[in-house]
Amino acid sequence: MHGLFRWSSKWWPGLIPLAILWAAAAWFSTVPLEADIAARSNAALKSTILDKTRITVAGRDVSFAAEAFSEDGRRSAVASVEAAPGVRLVNDETRLVAEAKPFVWVAERDNVRVTLWGTAPLPASKARIAEAARAALSGTEVVDRMGLARGAPPRFDAAAVLLLDQVAKLKDGKIVMSDAGVSLSGMARDLGGREAIAAALKNLPEGFAVAANEVKAPPYIFQANKDPVAVTLTLSGYVPDNNVHAALVATAGRKFANEKIVDNLKASIGAPSGFSAAVTSALGALSRLSTGTLVVSDREVKLSGDALYEAAAGQIRAGLARDLPTGWTAKSEVSVKPAAAPVDSTVCQQLFTQNLSKNRIRFETASASINADSAGLLDRLIETAMRCPSTNVEIVGHTDGDGDAAFNQTLSEKRALAVEDYLVKAGLPADRFSTVGYGSAQPIATNDTDEGKLQNRRIEFMVRQ
Amino acid sequence: MAYLAMFHWGWLLGAFVLGFCMGWIAVVYRGAPVPKVWIQRLSVLAVVVVGIAIAKLVPGRFGYWLDLGLALFGFYLVGCAIGSWLRDWVVSRHVPAA
Repeated sequence: MHGLFRWSSKWWPGLIPLAILWAAAAWFSTVPLEADIAARSNAALKSTILDKTRITVAGRDVSFAAEAFSEDGRRSAVASVEAAPGVRLVNDETRLVAEAKPFVWVAERDNVRVTLWGTAPLPASKARIAEAARAALSGTEVVDRMGLARGAPPRFDAAAVLLLDQVAKLKDGKIVMSDAGVSLSGMARDLGGREAIAAALKNLPEGFAVAANEVKAPPYIFQANKDPVAVTLTLSGYVPDNNVHAALVATAGRKFANEKIVDNLKASIGAPSGFSAAVTSALGALSRLSTGTLVVSDREVKLSGDALYEAAAGQIRAGLARDLPTGWTAKSEVSVKPAAAPVDSTVCQQLFTQNLSKNRIRFETASASINADSAGLLDRLIETAMRCPSTNVEIVGHTDGDGDAAFNQTLSEKRALAVEDYLVKAGLPADRFSTVGYGSAQPIATNDTDEGKLQNRRIEFMVRQ
Repeated sequence: MAYLAMFHWGWLLGAFVLGFCMGWIAVVYRGAPVPKVWIQRLSVLAVVVVGIAIAKLVPGRFGYWLDLGLALFGFYLVGCAIGSWLRDWVVSRHVPAA
């Protein structure tokens, strides 16, 4: 031992190369050591739930900054880093994630995308909600701008996922969850969507309540387009049910006897009250136009197109506003079609015959009052009469063989007079028209069948020079 | 320490070998020895520095470099002791034989 003391007094020259070795070791090992410790610290935090984790290493000292979601989680994370091999000291810069009061979460939908705002309680629930949004809104861009905060109500994730399903039913709008209160606004994607959302909200997790539901239903649209070139009437949009559907198509068939009906209607709930009456009345107005479009949107009726002559335009505008049920509004943009070129008496007769062969002037049963369904046909007859102003026209009434011959005679005369009266009211000179009734004396078909009787009940226009 | 030993075994081995060589030479070295009083003072200094290192008073990279220096110095001393003892044993074994 004594020798060791003696020899140690001569060990000092080695300190000089040792110092050089130390400097070299420090120079070459510091950065790799720091990288190794950083990797080990990050590995130690793998199973912990943290946000904004930042680890910086100086020598063997670790500066550890992170936001934890609970005090226990924060302590456990710091302990994990402290226990990582090689770590000498931990500068604990961790803190708890801020508590949101109120805890607000928002899903907002516009035409292009769905944006998720507000806060989620944990990174896992944030990811779950974003994933649920992508699943519920496949085909729509989902932008995740959610932050993280403490203070979420219990069962937050389940509520958010349910609300995302409702976002899928919106065309545009916003769903806000503020603590346990849910507010909805916007426009439902489909008719019935508003009701579906209201029903789904009953399944919100316990503790959650609907604070406001201002989701609007989309407008209930019915459209009819009269195309004189294709000779079609195209019906599109919604009708309340199959009965109304059938009734409206039948009405259209009567009012538009010349046109082919293209039926693209779909049945859907949500029709405003008085829908059927309003559409029937509006279709009558459309039938009097040469070309036109009818758009019924909720309780607003918009009619645009060209009337066949000036007086008809006025009647259509006034009639549409008058005939709609209470609470409905009408917007008419009816102009007058340019007058057609005059024709001679032969062509005039051909045009009358053509019009009356496809359709017939209808009257109420056993009465001389003209059925409203014939307004369109009468307008075309008036237009034809206007094209041959120098001719005189005899209006001839016929009935079928049912009933008393004297009654039929009188009825046929009255019906011919009613038509003349209609024409005169439209602005045609009364002296151009004469009327005659033949009762059932000149049938053109058998009176034994309903079809034959229908053909025999007729008005004819005979052009006289 | 175990981590440092594993990570720096090459450098520590170098310090040990350096110490072993110095210890080997010291037995027969005829240069001036360090005065006893200086050895005592340096020993106190070494204890203080070890105390500082254990208390982790020096932060960051300087703290690491201090730990590294002490570890190298420790291995150097062990190397010196073993080297000197071995040389002494070899020398004393040869003298009687001569």
